[in-house]
Amino acid sequence: MNNVFIDVDYAQIYKHGQKIGGDVFLLSRNPENHQIVATLSDGLGSGVKANVLASLTAHMAHKLSFSPIDLNHSAKIIMDTLPVCKERKISYSTFTIADVHYNDDNTDIELSLIEYDNPLALRFHGSENIPIERVKTTLHRSGAFKEEVVSSSHMTLGVNDRLIMFSDGVTQSGLGLGLPLGWRLDGVRKFVTEVIDKNPDISSRELSRMIVQRANSYDGYSSKDDITCVVIYIRRPRRTLIVTGPPFTKEADEILGEKIREFDGKKIVSGGTTAQIVSRVLGKKLTIDMKCWSKDVPPSSKMEGIDLVTEGMLTLSQVAKILEKRLNVADLPNDPAKKFVEILLDSDQVHFLVGTKINEAHQDPNIPVEIGIRRTIIGRLRNALEEIYLKETSQEYL
Amino acid sequence: MDRVKVRICLGTACFVQGGADLLLFEDFLAPELLEKCDIEASPCLNQCRIGNGIAPYVEINGIIHDNVDQDKLIKLLQEAVNAGN
Ligand code: FES
Repeated sequence: MNNVFIDVDYAQIYKHGQKIGGDVFLLSRNPENHQIVATLSDGLGSGVKANVLASLTAHMAHKLSFSPIDLNHSAKIIMDTLPVCKERKISYSTFTIADVHYNDDNTDIELSLIEYDNPLALRFHGSENIPIERVKTTLHRSGAFKEEVVSSSHMTLGVNDRLIMFSDGVTQSGLGLGLPLGWRLDGVRKFVTEVIDKNPDISSRELSRMIVQRANSYDGYSSKDDITCVVIYIRRPRRTLIVTGPPFTKEADEILGEKIREFDGKKIVSGGTTAQIVSRVLGKKLTIDMKCWSKDVPPSSKMEGIDLVTEGMLTLSQVAKILEKRLNVADLPNDPAKKFVEILLDSDQVHFLVGTKINEAHQDPNIPVEIGIRRTIIGRLRNALEEIYLKETSQEYL
Repeated sequence: MDRVKVRICLGTACFVQGGADLLLFEDFLAPELLEKCDIEASPCLNQCRIGNGIAPYVEINGIIHDNVDQDKLIKLLQEAVNAGN
């Protein structure tokens, strides 16, 4: 599994009263090419017209980025294709393209950035702002009122680096309201530094959300423009180990203990018998928490060094159901399945360590067939995690 | 007087066959009875694989009882408390 994770997410608030955005964000991951392209485009005005223009631009930028054409050249093609507004003699839309290339183990992450008329992107290492060196190209298109500047830059990103891109709805928020000149790039930069200082591991999803919410608050919660923010964050992957099922042989119990001890990340043990084995090989006491359960899911237990200990089949199938149906975690009863799902959603990589000893308990004909086969449930879990939640999963038998 | 030691099995087999009802013990056991018992849960009392009875299983002072529902648990605990007096 990869040792570096590229976390890309965005947040957006439409101009107050609009049901469609003039800011369009596109993200594609192309694992075969080891490439991720994130494009943010802002169409002139707001509403449907702006949306169509921005979509057009973003899609063009996107397509071209995946072609072998050089990014600068792509930018030129887009510029030449983009219509110029007759009255205002300015372009119909702006764009920022971040084109990320990485190699097999995700190290050496190369990012090319092309910016046209959006607020300038910010780069951070931890909470420290790192200036971006830009090369400017001036284009003069017929019909355009002014010369247009496209800037391009290139950077190598490492763990703890972030690139933050946003539309002018962010930097101009508060304009004429509480802030005479709006929030401005400087304001955003300071805010981001503070946020990361307080919460160094903040996810892209949360950070982008905090930025747009702050901008919206400057606009008096009645946004004057579409507010969009995109964050690209390079970090160590969050890993989770799920141990389920007793190992096939007694000797393998020790190996199981070893693997659990060595694992770097969150640890979940699922299954009563499995939990007893783990408790024995790790020499840690197991106590059941009789407060945390629901009619579908038996109580969880506590064990030092393990983040969550649950019953096996019922809990796993409930977790699979929640993931497959994309149920909202906040609406779930406070039972072990909820805690399980929360840990999974917070992970990038999930490793299943599956014991293959047949559990005699489930040979009991009184038990519904549905809870029968561990493998089927794990297959469902992996599928849902990969297909719906884009997590990496792996599996090993013991 | 020694307190009655109770272990309710909450393994898969027992939970689906009625163990979940027993978990509500704080609601259906009389307070006088409750305060004389130490009730905990077990992830599996290892009876399900032997198959000498019907789940759910409860262990009371070291003795396994099978096919326990709420009424039976009240009865068993009452007996155990009386025996200890
Ligand atoms: S599940 Fe109750 S004895 Fe095994």
